Amino acid sequence: METLAHLTGMSVVTIWTLLKVLLVFGFIMAVAPPYTWVERRGSAMMQDRIGPNRALLFGKWQILGLGHALADGIKFFFKEDIVPPHATKRLFWLAPLLAFVPALMGFAIIPFGRSFVYQGSMYHLSLLDPGNGMGMLYPLAIGAVAVYGILVAAWSSNNKWSILGGMRSSAQMVSYEIGLSLAVIAVFMKVGGYDPADIIKDQMAVGWFVWRQPLGFLVFFTCMFAESNRLPFDFAEGEAEIVAGFHTEFGSMKFGLLGLAEYAHMITASGLITTLYFGGWSVPFMPDAPVLLTILAFMVKLLFFMWVFVWVRWTLPRFRYDQLMFLGWKVMLPLSMANLIFNAWLMSRGG
Amino acid sequence: MAVLVKKVELSLLDRSYVWPIAKGMVITLRHFLKQITTPTNKRFTIQYPDMKKPMPAGYRGLHELKRFEDGAIKCVACFMCQEACPARCISIEAEEFSELNFTQGFEEKRPSVFKIDMLRCIYCGMCEEACPKDAIWLRGEYELAAYDRLSLNYGKWDLMNTYAGLDGKLQVGPAQESPATASRPVSA
Amino acid sequence: MFLIFALITILGALAMFQQKNVIVAGLCLVLTFFGVAGLFLVLANPVAAALQIIVYSGAIMVLVLFTIMLLNSHEEEPAIKARPIQRWVGALLIAIFGAFAFRIVAGSKALAAVNDKALPVEGMNLNRVGEELFANHLLGFEIIGLLLLAAMVGAVALTKKEL
Repeated sequence: METLAHLTGMSVVTIWTLLKVLLVFGFIMAVAPPYTWVERRGSAMMQDRIGPNRALLFGKWQILGLGHALADGIKFFFKEDIVPPHATKRLFWLAPLLAFVPALMGFAIIPFGRSFVYQGSMYHLSLLDPGNGMGMLYPLAIGAVAVYGILVAAWSSNNKWSILGGMRSSAQMVSYEIGLSLAVIAVFMKVGGYDPADIIKDQMAVGWFVWRQPLGFLVFFTCMFAESNRLPFDFAEGEAEIVAGFHTEFGSMKFGLLGLAEYAHMITASGLITTLYFGGWSVPFMPDAPVLLTILAFMVKLLFFMWVFVWVRWTLPRFRYDQLMFLGWKVMLPLSMANLIFNAWLMSRGG
Repeated sequence: MAVLVKKVELSLLDRSYVWPIAKGMVITLRHFLKQITTPTNKRFTIQYPDMKKPMPAGYRGLHELKRFEDGAIKCVACFMCQEACPARCISIEAEEFSELNFTQGFEEKRPSVFKIDMLRCIYCGMCEEACPKDAIWLRGEYELAAYDRLSLNYGKWDLMNTYAGLDGKLQVGPAQESPATASRPVSA
Repeated sequence: MFLIFALITILGALAMFQQKNVIVAGLCLVLTFFGVAGLFLVLANPVAAALQIIVYSGAIMVLVLFTIMLLNSHEEEPAIKARPIQRWVGALLIAIFGAFAFRIVAGSKALAAVNDKALPVEGMNLNRVGEELFANHLLGFEIIGLLLLAAMVGAVALTKKEL
């Protein structure tokens, strides 16, 4: 790395940051297409079907239908890019980016491996170094912004169904954000800090938060589904009632970006669940695991939760809108409050 | 009289949703694991062009004109099938021949043209019933599709040879009697 | 950095006034909030920045846009011609407020602290915010909580027909 720094005339820190950015975003972009494949094949397996397997790579290899992800990507790129005549054009162009960028940004705070010392300087394996003062507020803020992509997409396409989808989705996000934040606050309280590094360290010392705050985990988990607009909370879409919801009018790569945003969102959500409740990169029973092993542990947890997203999607039916609001305000909010107060009570008794 | 729908009272465990959801997840996981560990050829889905379902014995698909062991046609051109056919899709032209053949006995008549219009045929099997010599029967082949009407007008050699290829027997006779023979792939 | 964020803030605010379309104006306001959040970051106060985004852009503006979308979707309001007197009064008010704001900022202790290079710049974090809020400003915090509760009850009472 020093030679690289010397060659490019940049400092080691810059190079390291750039490397991490490339690594993380490359990972998300690379994982999203196979993730669609996992989604389709996984759903097929759960329903005793076969799933997509006909696309051949170079007309020869069938490798379990992985060619479909590639073919979809190629198709998105080469399709005609249509802007409907009554759409608000500039916002219509902006919307996929507004959806995609926050979905990617959320991952920046998540540490994906143990910080290590190399030649006397510290290297952190997360895009934002620990101790930056934002901590876990950052993904909450980014998650709050993520709704604009859907909202702008819905509004700019000037379509009744889109607007309905966008409105439902925004109401849902605002409702579930409260439960989400309160659940996270219980974790902050227990740790006494809100930096992901602190949270992971505390979990390594005492135990994963999923055991210490199962109720909080439940609330957070559910709200994460709602936040990433994922079934059973996919109220922005809903084929049965509002066509395709907010992306009805979108085609070609714009639609591709909206789809990618959803998957990136799920990856980020899995990362958050892992960090907050499953000990992040920590390896169970190994306090001083080597760096590569911690990265591996994080990946395993991350992939597991990404799989859980698919798993839940193909298990549960969708909610109705009033059920969604009921769940958000009358179940999730009181539950997270109860969790918060219970934990505060425990802490006041010295627990 | 109205039907009284009894409202299902959910237990507290069920109303919490957590336990029923967990049960549902286990069910999907079980299906997933079962399906993913089953080899492809044992799954419920038959991947049609690659795999084919074996047809039951009594299935009435494409006709075969049977042969004797030496390859000669069994049909004696008696026109019984043509008469019996409710769809009138069979058309036969008979011819004389005078080769003495001990396996066949002393037949002197055979079809020179034996055509079945597969677009008309209703696969009822009446020809099979009517045949006094057991020379025609309906078998399992069902992939009868073509790009034009003429190629579905199956001739004598088509009817004799389609299954010969499938059964791994010798195909006897002029192969290019009709364009259908060449264009129709005999799938293995 | 400061200039970039300040420009984003001011341009966002100006664009908001220029827009005839209500939703686009709302989005410009979101942009302004982002600029303000960036300014907080420059001031070494990431907590305020995060809260700015969570509360203002994440919750309040979403609700505002939600309401706008619910009411009228695509109508653009015709611009009302301002009378000259209104313009003059507006300019006067801006001048007065600007002068007062400048006086407040110039006279504040924080600015003196920034100029005083001897003080180390300490980043704000959530723990300090919490301590400040619950130790030094507990009464204010409780009163605000009570006020918000009253407002919430009032809103429910207004909107629900039969309670």
